[in-house]
Amino acid sequence: MFTGGVYKFHELKEVIEDIGGFVLQEMVMQTETMMHLAFPEEEERRIRDKAKELGGKLKDLPLAGAEIMIVVPSLGKHHAVYPMCDIAEFLRRKGAITNMMGLARGVGKRIAQMTVQEKAIIEECDAAVFVLGDFKECIEEKAPKLCESLNVPYMIVGGPPDLDLPHYVGGVGRRTRRMNRKADIDKLEEMTAEFKEVLGGRIEEIEEDPLAASPLFVKEMIEMTLPPKAGEELPVVIHLDGLRVKIEEGDEGKIRDIEIGKRKLSEISEIKKSLYEGYLVKILTEAVTGGIF
Amino acid sequence: MDVKVEGGDEFANASYEKICDDIFRDIGLRSNIDRAYMYCNAAEHVFIISVKIGRVPSPVKVWDVTQREGDKLRITDEKYAPKLLALMWDKYGDRVQQISRLVIGFELKEEEIPDFNDLIVYDPREDLNTRVLDGIDRILPEGARVRYPMPSTEGITIIASENQIAEEWKEKAKEVMSKMEMTSGEGGT
Repeated sequence: MFTGGVYKFHELKEVIEDIGGFVLQEMVMQTETMMHLAFPEEEERRIRDKAKELGGKLKDLPLAGAEIMIVVPSLGKHHAVYPMCDIAEFLRRKGAITNMMGLARGVGKRIAQMTVQEKAIIEECDAAVFVLGDFKECIEEKAPKLCESLNVPYMIVGGPPDLDLPHYVGGVGRRTRRMNRKADIDKLEEMTAEFKEVLGGRIEEIEEDPLAASPLFVKEMIEMTLPPKAGEELPVVIHLDGLRVKIEEGDEGKIRDIEIGKRKLSEISEIKKSLYEGYLVKILTEAVTGGIF
Repeated sequence: MDVKVEGGDEFANASYEKICDDIFRDIGLRSNIDRAYMYCNAAEHVFIISVKIGRVPSPVKVWDVTQREGDKLRITDEKYAPKLLALMWDKYGDRVQQISRLVIGFELKEEEIPDFNDLIVYDPREDLNTRVLDGIDRILPEGARVRYPMPSTEGITIIASENQIAEEWKEKAKEVMSKMEMTSGEGGT
């Protein structure tokens, strides 16, 4: 992530384009600029030098390129806003795009449940973080019911420090205050490290069976056909294995016909309407579609 | 305010103690509650909370929140301004005007002033029960929707669960009430 002034920042964008990198997100706030960048590792020195020349800062974003769903049992004052917003904010600072979701009937122990539609919405994202409460017995009974059926990697954040559950981070639980003390920040760092591991498994899977085209490349191509409207926030969200494209219904055909190399986007991906927002483009693997050039 | 939470593991007890403390402070009841006790049994999903109400501040009168400046009154605590103005307009009508944000002008006879000064602007007892119940509702886990309140003259005890509440928990709640030195009252649904 580059943060700095607007002075000559387009030069940095040119360097990124020259070396075949991508701008994932760009935000200009009066005299401040924030850009999420993706570029080949071997070019890091060059980018760092350029950022230094412009008087900006370059920060590593371990979770960039992933859309994450933060799930809480309900959106009532018992679970929102703390600690769910602290967790979402912290993951955003690490580069992820986060959504928040309160389950319709997620409260309680025996009565907790997740609907099929909720499950489908969570599975549209790359990973999920479940933020649960203070009681060991409740989490032990609820977690398998809510999380185990999911087809995406997940992490559970709860209260009791030690629980024998996969990808569990304890020590958070119910909060009535912001997590802004030193111990809280350390806990959030620990949580991010665990989450990186959760996401790492999925990234490895994709690397072993590569996609027909990189989502970053597809994003560039979509933006060339459908340029983002002024003031629109994140019209294209990058996933690990595809994208979420926020377009109007009439534009679906245009997306399908976008040329990616020698193929059309509809040939190398599955495009469907998202239950949550926009359209989902799930890029198929190269093994299924063959080469695009 | 003295808060004690029992029944859960170490982390849950400490966490709920903090939650009780923070929530009662947030709704401005911390100094009005003598003791709060909570019993958590997450395995059977039963939670008992008992609150003993202590000293409640005396009613706020006109002279508590205003300062007289000739035929004008200056509001010293803006929090009470809407209630004060509504009360005065109700009682004296056009003889009272709001001159500026914190200044009220009045045309009252000198003999009316003592009565006027003693008018009650806000009585904390009025909405005490609502506020205590709101606090308890925020503290108890959201899934525990089956409630069994046991009121008494000194406070209230509530059993909450997601299941039907068994007799043994009602007995336990009575025990809690006697520990809290509250007289046992009639239960409801």
